Amino acid sequence: MRASDVGLTDAEYAEICRLMGRAPNALELGLFGALWSEHCSYKNSRALLRRLPHEGPDVVAGPGGNAGVVRLTDSWEVAFKIESHNHPSYVEPVQGAATGVGGILRDIIAMGARPIAVADLLRFGTDVHSHHLRQGVVRGIGLYGNAIGIPTVTGDLAYSDTYATNPLVNVLAVGLRRPEHAIGASTAKPGQLLVLLGQRTGRDGIHGASLLASQDFHGSEHDSMRPTVQVGDPFLGKLLMEVTLTAVERGWVGALQDLGAAGLTSAVAELSESSGVGATLWLDRVPLRQAAMTPYEIMLSETQERMLMAIDADRWDDLKALADEQEILATVIGVVEPGEMIRLLWQSEVHAEVSARWLVRGCPRREVTDEEWEGFRRPVPRPRVQAVAPGRGGARDLKSLLLDVLAHPDVRDRAFIYQQYDSTIQTRTVWGPEHDVAVLKLHEEPVGVVLSVFGTGQWASVDPYAGAAAAVIHAVSRLAALGAECLGITDGINAGNPDKAESFGQLGGLVAGVADAARALGIPVTGGNVSLHNETAGEPIWPTVMIGAVGRLADAAHPVADVVREAGARLYLLNPAPLDLGGSVVESLAGGASPYSLGPLADYRRALDAMSQSVRSGLVEAVRVVGRGGLAAALVRLLLPAPPSLGIAVTLDEDTDDAKRGRLFNEGVGQWVVALRPTCEPAFLRLCEAAQVPVCRLGAVTDVAALSIDGRVQWTRAELLAAWRPLG
Amino acid sequence: MAQFRATVVVTLQPDVLDPAGDATAQVLRHMGYRVADVRIGKSIEVRLEAEDRAEAQALAHKMAASLLANPVMETFSVQVEEL
Amino acid sequence: MRVAVVTFPGSNCDDDTVRALTALGVSPVRVGHRAQDLSTVDAAILPGGFSYGDYLRGGALAAQAPVIESLRAEVASRQLPVLGICNGFQILAEARLLPGALRPNRQGTFRSAWQTIRVTRASPLFWGLEEGELLRLPIAHGEGAYYLPPGQLAAVFGNDQAWLQYVSEDGLLHTEANPNGSVANLAGVIVGSVAGLMPHPERAMADYLGSADGARLLQAWLSGISRRDGHAR
Repeated sequence: MRASDVGLTDAEYAEICRLMGRAPNALELGLFGALWSEHCSYKNSRALLRRLPHEGPDVVAGPGGNAGVVRLTDSWEVAFKIESHNHPSYVEPVQGAATGVGGILRDIIAMGARPIAVADLLRFGTDVHSHHLRQGVVRGIGLYGNAIGIPTVTGDLAYSDTYATNPLVNVLAVGLRRPEHAIGASTAKPGQLLVLLGQRTGRDGIHGASLLASQDFHGSEHDSMRPTVQVGDPFLGKLLMEVTLTAVERGWVGALQDLGAAGLTSAVAELSESSGVGATLWLDRVPLRQAAMTPYEIMLSETQERMLMAIDADRWDDLKALADEQEILATVIGVVEPGEMIRLLWQSEVHAEVSARWLVRGCPRREVTDEEWEGFRRPVPRPRVQAVAPGRGGARDLKSLLLDVLAHPDVRDRAFIYQQYDSTIQTRTVWGPEHDVAVLKLHEEPVGVVLSVFGTGQWASVDPYAGAAAAVIHAVSRLAALGAECLGITDGINAGNPDKAESFGQLGGLVAGVADAARALGIPVTGGNVSLHNETAGEPIWPTVMIGAVGRLADAAHPVADVVREAGARLYLLNPAPLDLGGSVVESLAGGASPYSLGPLADYRRALDAMSQSVRSGLVEAVRVVGRGGLAAALVRLLLPAPPSLGIAVTLDEDTDDAKRGRLFNEGVGQWVVALRPTCEPAFLRLCEAAQVPVCRLGAVTDVAALSIDGRVQWTRAELLAAWRPLG
Repeated sequence: MAQFRATVVVTLQPDVLDPAGDATAQVLRHMGYRVADVRIGKSIEVRLEAEDRAEAQALAHKMAASLLANPVMETFSVQVEEL
Repeated sequence: MRVAVVTFPGSNCDDDTVRALTALGVSPVRVGHRAQDLSTVDAAILPGGFSYGDYLRGGALAAQAPVIESLRAEVASRQLPVLGICNGFQILAEARLLPGALRPNRQGTFRSAWQTIRVTRASPLFWGLEEGELLRLPIAHGEGAYYLPPGQLAAVFGNDQAWLQYVSEDGLLHTEANPNGSVANLAGVIVGSVAGLMPHPERAMADYLGSADGARLLQAWLSGISRRDGHAR
């Protein structure tokens, strides 16, 4: 076997020989191939990710573990993380997406947390095949989440041809744990038994990490290289979850690590390396699904629904009894050793002997100089000419333009998707997928978790730095709209082949944008995921970052409304953005793609604080964040679920048609439409003035059941609804 | 042209995990049956017109390969009878 | 009152059901699928979920569990009140404790939504739940299309077994209000002391969760049991 067979370069092979002081045998080479893959080693991204801010007053566990953890209340912590399953979902959409959900849930469980919510962040092309992929992916997410009993409560979905042969399937999971049940991979002690729990090991997904997820996709000519498709078993996943969490709650578990990419290899190496120990594995004891599997196959299998646990020997009988009761397999497959060497035995014979440190930390990584980093932090300059030139939606009259925007796939109602997901199980869902954010109330306390997810689109394709920063601001803006505090964010980065300068630059831009925005807003990034090699036949996708923000809401049973409720309420636009259509839906309708530069990041922080404070002071009756489709779409969303007699009348200050369109359809982040009772108006305006955040008066809620702009253009609610939620 | 009925039996490839088969096997064992293994597939009946049996077989095979079975994870067999 | 919450491998609404019953002042007892003796319980709930992964057919594998034979015996001997919710309903139908079968939804996909349900027949099992009453409850199922073999529909309606129906928000019975292709919009049936429904009352326990009508339905069931058995609660 050669280095290139397991995806390693000659230089990496030389480094392995140097570390080992000898040439690796085939099994050892396989272990290195898996753990030194891009997917497992983050060799091209680690130096960038190190520059993200990780600290915060509520951070319990930052990056490095299976998931980030933040403090919610004195009795509850929240574990959350995003993960990608892009390539597997292209190969087999149903199982690819299902195993993606299963995988991220086990990451949460491996922190000792019980999963309480899933979110899906998806990108597809627009052709017929993409349509089938989307149907399969949605089915797969529901297949796993619904069956294991975790609600899918929110999501993000957008389309572009750039994703036609490389869809993005990012899944985020959130879990709750008691502080006293905190566990991780880093606490194994010599002498403890290594127990493998769950599914029998089969030939699933061998080389999934090193080849499928870490190299560019070339289409179908590589069929023979394709690993056996992994099949998710949510039924077994449920039993495994219960056994694992029960063992954690009973204090039996010394250390815990799920088996994901690179299977047992990654699990034992991560557990050993982070605990500062070694391990001996008796591979002939691993329960197999197929006869005659080799040590190589056993170590690299990506069979799902497995967990690795280190336990004291005197807990084995208890754990075995618990697993028997639930009818899942528990097998002692090894023992934790002092030192750092991992020894793989097959019938008492040593087949491999490598250091956990070499496997996890030995891979040569790409460094990033300060100068390079500064280069990533430069936004693409905004064109001098205002981007509301004719042709950018200018050809259409305003009446049909808004209906086109509402019907745009990135804007329109998603019920046809989220109705395939169970969103109400576990009975915490105060706000589910029909809202812009999810609100989950704890059973035991009035406090709730708010989950906001948002990914970049066209804006990041022309300006990765500004687009990524904007995505962070947008995700956090939705927490501010509820007066919730942001505890942390997780970022799912998806980019092309890092060996190409352009793609690496885009990757750097995305990370720098997330870093600068998070730092400016004072928010820690507690972990995330990087998926590279999102290319097909040399064509990279748009660089895309998916953001998940987790917040704390004091009174989760009563979130401030996102729909108007009474005629007479005044409408304001808090923190109006420049009249620029760069990166907007209207621009893409007209076939354009231009950057939209951000304002100073400190201004956004002031605006977020002002928004949050207005809500907490009880001044706000209803609020919507301006998002895809701009102010106009936000007004429609504010109106559609309202009592049928209500309407909205807006008068714009802008004097030209172009300027009015710029106001209605720009997608600048950090803007909110706010509805106030007239009596609250003075206090709200004082608060905004004191905070130096601009506001502009938009109009009022009326008892004429329509949306009207300047008294000239009017849409009935039926027209708006028909565009936004087409029948069938 | 003659009428044929093609029966396409689609099963998972031998190496692919079959959670439904495993769970079913487990319950059959609880019920007292000595079951080694259960694999669940589906049977699809297609009524079609063809010149002869050979053509019917070829057509059904094509349908199975292109749509009825997912070659990424499934295999299939085709049986044809004249109606 | 001792209410058993019967779980199978893969049940996943058991915690929600236990929480709902507790909120209504009952201390439920959890009973596993191997339980042989149910002689000491006053009622049993089969909660929702994906017992045995819903593999083969929803509820089919769980219907073979030993606890089902115990339930069957208690129902026959002392009319034990049994309530099957969602997967619990599927299990009761597969066990022939209720008529008909739950087939994959007409649209072929899982469906999760808030749904208005009409009480079509009042039953002494649910004391205080009046005929014609509307309840707003969540549904969440992939196999919820209630099916009856030809000829049985008239019998189900004739014998007052047709308990709940899917209706529009204003209470009208029509095809568009049918979320899954159930025959005659049926969402729940009752035979003797055994009731089954696809919607999830245990998830509609407070206004902030979207509706408190589930609390009303479960309370009616508990009241029905109390009145029948003369329990002091």
